[in-house]
Amino acid sequence: MVDLNAYLTLASLLFGIGAIGFLVRRNALIQLMSIELMLNSVNIVLVAVNRLHVDNHVGQIFSFFVIAIAAAEAAVGLAILIALFRLHKSVDTDTADTLKH
Amino acid sequence: MANLGILWIVLLPLFGAIINGMAGRFTSKRVVSVIAVGSVIGSFFLALNVFFDLTDLRAAGSEANLTFDLWRWFELSVPTVHGVTEVPVDVRFVVDELSSVMLLVITGIGSLIHIYSLGYMHDDDGFARYFAYLNLFMASMLILVLASSFPVMFVGWEGVGLCSYLLIGYWYETPAYAAAGRKAFIANRIGDFGVIVGMLALMMVSGSFEFEAINAAAPGMQRPFTLGGAEIGTFATVAGLFIFLGCTGKSAQVPLFVWLPDAMAGPTPVSALIHAATMVTAGVYLCCRISPVLLESSVVLSTIAIVGTLTALIAATIAVVQKEMKKILAYSTVSQLGFMFAAVGVGAFAAGFFHVFTHAFFKACLFLGAGSVMHAVGAHGDANILKLGGMKDRMKVTRWTFLIATAAIAGFPLTAGFFSKDELLFGAASVAMGDVLIPQWVGWFVLVGLFLAATMTAFYMYRLYYLTFTGDYRSAEKAEGGDDHAHDEDEDDAHDDDHDDAHDDAHGHDDHGHGDHGYRPRPKESEISMTFPLMVLAFGALVVGFLGMPHALHLPNWWGGWMSGSMGNLPGMGPHDHVENMTPVYVAMGLGLLAFFIGCGVATVKYRDKNEDTFTTALPKKLYAFLFDKWRFDEFYGATILRFNRGLAVLAGRIDQSFVDALLTKAPAWIAMRLGWLFTRIQVGVVHAYGLVLVVGMFGVGWWFLYPHANVEIDSVGAESANLTVGRGLGYEFRFDLDGDGNFDVPDQPSRVFIDLADDITNQEAMRVVALVRAAIAPTEWPSDRSGLGALIDREHKVYEMAPPTEALPDLRLALERAERVDEVRWENAGEAFGTQTNAELRFDAEDYQGFALVVGVLRGEPDEYELGHEPLLLDESRLGPGWSRAQEDEEEIPVAIWINEDGEVVVKPNSGAVRYRGEAMEEEFTIAAGEAAFFGRAPIRVAPIVETVVEVRNAFGNVDRETIAITLNPAPEATATNSQGARTATQAAARLAEVTR
Repeated sequence: MVDLNAYLTLASLLFGIGAIGFLVRRNALIQLMSIELMLNSVNIVLVAVNRLHVDNHVGQIFSFFVIAIAAAEAAVGLAILIALFRLHKSVDTDTADTLKH
Repeated sequence: MANLGILWIVLLPLFGAIINGMAGRFTSKRVVSVIAVGSVIGSFFLALNVFFDLTDLRAAGSEANLTFDLWRWFELSVPTVHGVTEVPVDVRFVVDELSSVMLLVITGIGSLIHIYSLGYMHDDDGFARYFAYLNLFMASMLILVLASSFPVMFVGWEGVGLCSYLLIGYWYETPAYAAAGRKAFIANRIGDFGVIVGMLALMMVSGSFEFEAINAAAPGMQRPFTLGGAEIGTFATVAGLFIFLGCTGKSAQVPLFVWLPDAMAGPTPVSALIHAATMVTAGVYLCCRISPVLLESSVVLSTIAIVGTLTALIAATIAVVQKEMKKILAYSTVSQLGFMFAAVGVGAFAAGFFHVFTHAFFKACLFLGAGSVMHAVGAHGDANILKLGGMKDRMKVTRWTFLIATAAIAGFPLTAGFFSKDELLFGAASVAMGDVLIPQWVGWFVLVGLFLAATMTAFYMYRLYYLTFTGDYRSAEKAEGGDDHAHDEDEDDAHDDDHDDAHDDAHGHDDHGHGDHGYRPRPKESEISMTFPLMVLAFGALVVGFLGMPHALHLPNWWGGWMSGSMGNLPGMGPHDHVENMTPVYVAMGLGLLAFFIGCGVATVKYRDKNEDTFTTALPKKLYAFLFDKWRFDEFYGATILRFNRGLAVLAGRIDQSFVDALLTKAPAWIAMRLGWLFTRIQVGVVHAYGLVLVVGMFGVGWWFLYPHANVEIDSVGAESANLTVGRGLGYEFRFDLDGDGNFDVPDQPSRVFIDLADDITNQEAMRVVALVRAAIAPTEWPSDRSGLGALIDREHKVYEMAPPTEALPDLRLALERAERVDEVRWENAGEAFGTQTNAELRFDAEDYQGFALVVGVLRGEPDEYELGHEPLLLDESRLGPGWSRAQEDEEEIPVAIWINEDGEVVVKPNSGAVRYRGEAMEEEFTIAAGEAAFFGRAPIRVAPIVETVVEVRNAFGNVDRETIAITLNPAPEATATNSQGARTATQAAARLAEVTR
C-alpha cells in the first residue's frame, strides 16, 4: 500500500502544474487543459483520503461529481473557444478583451 | 337585542353606500335606485319607530334615553384636572329628544331628496357613484347625531365633511368644481381643529368624552384655564370658543362661510340635503348638545350671538344682489344659519334648533324647486334668474311649492318660518330687555340685526320668486339670449373683467351643451319623482311651525317641552316658565311681521311681473360690486393667507431645487459615478489577471480556515451565574476556563479525585470525607443530603481516592466537609481536553471576582458601567435619568461623587447644592455594599462584580484561538437582602471587594 503522502504529493504537483499553466499560458486550449489538471488533482486527494475512512464513500462519490462538472465545463469552454476563434481567428486570450470597459 | 333598530338606522344607508359604491357600476340604474332609496326609506321608518319608542318612554314618565352599545373603541390614559385618568371611549348610540328629532329630519328629508335625485340625476353617467356618496353621507350624518361621545361624533363630523367634499366636486372634470370641493374641505379643516381642542378641554374637566358626563360636569367648567402660567379664562370659555370655531367651519359662519356659496357647484339635491337641511346645521346641533357648558360662559354666548347676527346680516346683503338661483339660496342658507346661531347665542337653544327644523323643510323645498326649474330649462350648474321668468304657467307645481316655501322663509304669518323666527326674536328681545347672563347690548344688537336680516330675507326671496316665476320667459327665443347677455354686461360693468369672465366660463360648463348662453326655449314641468318631494316639503313648510307656537301667548308649544329634556335654558326662558314681561313677546312678533311686510312689499312693487332687475342695480356701483363679491372675503383671504402660503410654497420649491435636487441628489450621484470609474480600472479584460485574483483569493480562504476564530456571546447574566455560547466552525472544539483561575474546566468527567489529609490527623482518628463534585458546565445544586456519600478514612490511608459520583458531571468544584483537615485536593482527568460543547453555564463564587463595576441603569436603554476605585467617580445629572436636574445650568460643581472607602464600601455622595431630584436637593450620603443595589432617585445603581472567563477554540489543524471576556454580574436588587443566599453572596462579595481593591 502506497503511503498517503505520496498521493498528496502527486496531487500537489499536478495542482501546481495546472495553476501555473493556467496563469502563464496564453492559449485558451492549454488553459482549459490546465483547469482539467487541477480538477483531477483534487479528485486524487478526495479518493486517497477517503481510503482512510473505511465505511465512508463520500470522497469517492464526490470525485464523480467533479468529473461530471469537468465534462460540462469542457463542453461549455470548448464552445466558447470555437466562438472566440471565429471572432478573432485566434485562441489567444490576450485578444479576448472586447468586453472590457 | 334591545334597540337594535338604532344600529340599523345607520347600517342601512352604510350598506347601501358600500353596495352601490362597489357594485353599482356593474348593475342597472334600477338596482342602484332600489338599494339607495330603499335603504334610506327603511332608515326613515326605523327612525320613526325609535322616535315613537322614545315618546312612549317619556309618556311613561321615564327620563332614560334609548341607547345601543357597540364596542369599546379605545382607552386613553390622560392628564385631567383630577390627575391622570383612564378615559374610555365607547362606540355607543344614544337617542334622546334632540337626536330623535334630528334623526327624523335627516332620514325624512333625506328620503325625499333621494327620491328627487332619481329624476334629477337620471341622465347622469355617475348615477351609482352619486347615490353611493349620498348614502354614505346619510350614514355619517346619522353617526354624528347618534353618537354619545365626542370622538364618535367626530367620526360622523368628518364623514359628512368628506361626503360634502366628494359631492361638491361630483362633476370633477370641471376644475372650478373640484376647486370648490377642496375649498370646502380646507375651510372645514380649520374648524375641525377647534373641535378637537375643544373636546379635549372639556374632557380635561369632566374626565369623559361622553356628552352626558360633560354636561353633568358643566358647573366645574368655571375652573380657570391656564396656558403657560397665565390664566386666559375659564374652561367653559376656552372649550366653548374652540368648539364654536368648529361650528363656524361646518355651519358656514363668518369668517369661514366662504366655502358654502361655492359648494353650489354640486348637484342641486346635494345642495338641498347637505348644504341646507342637514350637514350645515351640525354646528347648531353640537351647540345644543353641549348647551349646559355654553351656559357657563357669557363670553362664549355673546361671541356666538354676535357672530351669528353678523353672519345673518352679511349673507343677507350679499343675497340681495345675486343673480343666480342657487347662489341666492346659498347666501340665504348662510344667513339663516346665522339666525340659528344668534338664537343659540342668546341662550334660546330650543328656538335655534326649532329654526333648524323648519328651515330644513322650506330650504330643501326651495333648493329642490330651483333644481326643478334648472332641470326644466336645462341648466346644470346654476341658473341666472335674469334669463328666466314666467315659469308660473309652465311649471305649476314647482311654482306653488316654491311660493309656499318663499312665504315660509320670509315669515308669512302662520307658516313654519313665521313661528321659528318669532321664537328667535323673542329670545333676543328677552335678553335685550331682561337681566340674564348675557349683556343687554348683545340682545339689542341681535334683535336689531336679525330684524334687518329678516327684512332683507323677505325682500331677496320674493325678488327671486318674482324674477323666476313671473314676467316673461326671457330665454323663450334663441335670439333673445344674446340680448339677455347684453343686459348682463350692462349690469356688471361695475365689476372687473376677470370676474365677468369667470362667470361666463362657469356658464359654459353648466350648460352641458344646451346652447351657448340661453336655456331651453320651452321648459316643461318636471316628472313626478321630483314634484312629489316638493309637495311634501311645501306641506311641511306650511304646517311644522305649529309644533312650536309661542307659549308666552299660552299656545301649546310641543317643541319647547320636548326639547327641554336635552337642552339647557337660561333662567326664565324655559319652555314652561311663565313669562312675566309681555313686552319682548309683542316686540318680537311686531318686528317679525314688520320685516315680512317691508321686505315682501318692496319686492312686490319692484319685481312683480318685471323682466329686469331695476332695483338692486340702482345701488351705488361700488357698493353693488362689493356686495356682489361677497364683501371681498375671498379676495381678502387670497391677499393674506393664500398669498402667504403661496410664498411659503415658492420658498420650499426653491429650497427643493437649489438644495435637495442640486446638492443632495447630484452629489451622491457624482460620488457613485467616480467610484464606478474607479472600480472599472480593475476590469482589465486580461483573463490571466482574473485568474491571479482567483488564486490569491483561494489562498486567503485557505489561510482563514487554517486558524480557528473564537466568537463568544454572553447569553444571560444573573447574580451568581452566566451563560455563554461559542460560535461553531468547521472542525472546531472548545474548552472553557469559566472562573478564570487558569485551570480549564474540562467538559469530560475526571477519572480520579485525590484528597490528601492534613498531617495533624491522629492515628486514632478516623474521619468521613465526602467529596462533592459539581460540574462547572451546567452545574447542579449541591446535594443537601450527604449521608452515605464519601468514605471513612484514617491516618494510615492518608490519601483518599474516589471516583466522582456519577450523577455529578465533570468537575471541577469540590466541597469537602471539615476542610481544615484536608491538605490538598487534586484530580486526574483527561487532561485539558477540548470538547464539542458550545455553550456553558457557570456559577461564580466570591473568590472568582476579578473586580467591581458601578452600574447605573436609567429607565430605558442599556445601563452605563463605570470602573470603581478609591478616586471619586463623578456622575452628572444626565447619567441619572429623568427627574434629575442641576441647581444652576452653568454650575461647575461636581454633582455626584462615588468612590470606595477604607471599609470596602461604595460611597455615594450627592453634592446637594449642585444636583436636585424633582426639584429637591439630595442631601444624604449613603453607602452600597458590593453586590448590592440601591435606588438613587429613580435610577437603580448597583455595585456589580466582574468575572473573567477564558474560552479556547481549536480546529482540525491544531491551531488554537483564545478569547478572554469580562462579565459584569447582575445582582438582582431583591437578592441582596431578602434571602439568606443573597445575603451570603453579598457578604462574600464585600469581603472580596476589600481584597481586590487593597
